[in-house]
Amino acid sequence: MLGVAALALGAFLLYPTAVPDGLALPSVDVDAVFGADFVDRAKRYERFFYVNWVLAQIALFVTLWIYARRGAAFARESSAGPIGTGMLLGMLGLAIAWLVHVPFALASHWWQRRWDQNDLSYLDWLFEDWAVLAAQFLSICVALLIVMGLARWLGERWWLPGAAVFVGIAALFSFVAPYLYYGTAPVERKPLLEAARTYEQELGVGHIPLRVEEVSADTEQANAFAFGLGPSRRVVFWDTILEPPFTEAEQKVVLAHELAHHSQRHLPKGLAWFALFAIPGAWILMRATRRRGGMGNPTAVPLALFVVAALQLATAPLSSAISRRMEAEADWKALTVTHDPAALEGLMVEFSKTGLGDPDPPFISQLVFGTHPTLADRVAMARAYADGAR
Amino acid sequence: MESPSRPPVRLVLRDGDLQRSRLTVFFRLILAIPLLIWVTLRGIAAGVASIVNWLAVLVQREVPESTHDFCANYVRYSTQVSAYVLLAADPYPWFRYQPDYPVDVEIDRPVQQGRWGGFFRLILALPALLLATALGSGFATTTPGQGSVASNGNEEEAVVWGLSSFGGAAAACALLAWFFIVALGRSPRGLRDLVTFALGYGAQAAAYLFLLTPRYPTSDPRLAEPYSQLPTHPVRAVVTDDLARPRLTVLFRLFLAIPHFVWFLLWTIAVFFVGFVAWIVALVLGRLPLRLHRFFAAYVRYATHLVAFVYLIGRRFPGFTGRVGSYGIDVEIDPPERQRRLTILFRFLLAFPAFVVASALGGVAAVIAFLAWWYALFTARMPEGMRNLGVTCLRYSAQTYTYSLLVTGRYPYAAPVLRDPGPGPEPRPNFAPPEPVLGETF
Repeated sequence: MLGVAALALGAFLLYPTAVPDGLALPSVDVDAVFGADFVDRAKRYERFFYVNWVLAQIALFVTLWIYARRGAAFARESSAGPIGTGMLLGMLGLAIAWLVHVPFALASHWWQRRWDQNDLSYLDWLFEDWAVLAAQFLSICVALLIVMGLARWLGERWWLPGAAVFVGIAALFSFVAPYLYYGTAPVERKPLLEAARTYEQELGVGHIPLRVEEVSADTEQANAFAFGLGPSRRVVFWDTILEPPFTEAEQKVVLAHELAHHSQRHLPKGLAWFALFAIPGAWILMRATRRRGGMGNPTAVPLALFVVAALQLATAPLSSAISRRMEAEADWKALTVTHDPAALEGLMVEFSKTGLGDPDPPFISQLVFGTHPTLADRVAMARAYADGAR
Repeated sequence: MESPSRPPVRLVLRDGDLQRSRLTVFFRLILAIPLLIWVTLRGIAAGVASIVNWLAVLVQREVPESTHDFCANYVRYSTQVSAYVLLAADPYPWFRYQPDYPVDVEIDRPVQQGRWGGFFRLILALPALLLATALGSGFATTTPGQGSVASNGNEEEAVVWGLSSFGGAAAACALLAWFFIVALGRSPRGLRDLVTFALGYGAQAAAYLFLLTPRYPTSDPRLAEPYSQLPTHPVRAVVTDDLARPRLTVLFRLFLAIPHFVWFLLWTIAVFFVGFVAWIVALVLGRLPLRLHRFFAAYVRYATHLVAFVYLIGRRFPGFTGRVGSYGIDVEIDPPERQRRLTILFRFLLAFPAFVVASALGGVAAVIAFLAWWYALFTARMPEGMRNLGVTCLRYSAQTYTYSLLVTGRYPYAAPVLRDPGPGPEPRPNFAPPEPVLGETF
């Protein structure tokens, strides 16, 4: 009970944002703002991904369920000890999941190419993610090393220190990620740099380096993101967002939005939220694998993979909602420092066009995938700010 | 019908004393120039004759005696020339096949062949030719710096083989043997045996390509046993593995090895620093202390387990501790022994030639891995010949590393055989097998 109360208290403290309570978002006619033809086209484009995702999830869970029941037989392919064998079973589960995922990823890529949203050839597509896959294999081994090591040492009490270790690793990774993220160059546009100095002062954050990443050879989609902790904080723009059709005013809104992520401490808060999920998640994992001898036993690993995947799916709406709140807060802070709601609205229109994004997606899709408020809601927030300013 | 146990293409070795003329060895490549020109011209003619063989197999399922003999004589002659150039034989082979040459090839009479196997012969022969290249025997005609032209019987599919320019294991052995012979007047047996094995495999590959036999070349080191022996050595390969290779673990083999790569890197860094300390300690004591011996022995065993797994020579996911007997492809290492301080002082320099051979054999093992990956992906099995050849490569590599890390004072032995000579009592360790530092958990 005490644990549940502590988690609830944590969530209560993390939940508030700088968006004014009771801010009423006006209704937005998406057809008028984005164009009826475009909205219809975007809906048709995105519908494919919803179906594809659902099918992929079904295939994934069926596969992981079969693997959870039969995967332990692969233990005979190991000459290693229990933890080494657990690593093997974890990696094989990941390999199977990846194999199942490939046809759906291929279908997605085909659809993106068909709608001119991706120029990557199939061959490049096939080989572009090998490094990521290798990193996933290594990550699952590290995770199993920690969990199984603690479980063999502490028995069923592994889950609390285990969750703490994972939060620590996530924090460490958040800190070092900007140093590992290669292929970016400093932003050299004077207006943007001058605006950054102003916004940094208004938002009360120290100097944060601005970087640009060249992606225009592969995609026309536009993006920017903030990452890092403390001295490693960075804002990265894709070069596509620093070129027309995005205007300078729109680029400044993006800049203010990303700086707001840092000023509102969204990354540390994200880690705190992660801790709130990791602790009960580890406990559930401990309970679920108890009948297989617990996480110290390698034959429990296939079942653990299934449980983790199920937990991820189950918590997706919650984590998306938390992300949406943070993004809405960053939008609001961006409005308060740029005082340019028209630029934010224009930015959303351009975002939808370059990414063929549905401005007003179905409720279910927004519930599961919506890490940002819908484009329509973001336009509504800009209008709400404009109304308030008047 | 041919006997399944007796290969239709067999290497015959009559080079008993290993004596070599220093003078002809010194000028061997220059002396070989006319032979290489001649063998290339004969290779072109044999390529043309193989077209006849190809058509004959498609029509009547059997190669005519005349073209069979022509191509077989070419394979024999090119093997003799290669043996001469690679210092596996001493007499000058002149310009025709010599039946009493120290290195010779026996090829059975023509037999009936399947039409499909004949039709796709060039494609089917590609893996064997690739392995022959890595072994350094190339395409029967190959010798360092030489290329030859061959055809599968279809003029449009003529292929230029520049295989020999890569050298391979046989060329590396020949290079080292050259220095040895110029100094001592005789060839090292291990290197000679490795070269002749490579030549034997190349002859099999060529005979298969020219449709002289339908039997696919075998790289099993047992082929070398009639003429080669493995002397008792303190570092021995032990095979208890089977040949099954589950497809899933084959498909993701490299990815599955990722945690091992990380662990191996960390262990290697430790070995690098400890190795320097061990060298000084061994110089003082005249032998390696038991703890350091165990540490290095475990490292070499672990490296062998890991490479065996990555290269599909071993079936199972290895442990992380290099424990004795924990893997199907294992290395037995005798206890520490007293070593001459002078050899300890210059150990790294002395190990350099062995590293050259180990590197060349590493290339062979890599080719085996590449071919075996595809084979195992389709059949879920590893060919026994390739597995055994891979084990000999790993055994040599383990001997090289144990020698360079002062675990043993015995020089690596390159002969491509797995079994040592006698059923005599195995030297047993005079201490209990060491417990892995990290326990049994990994």
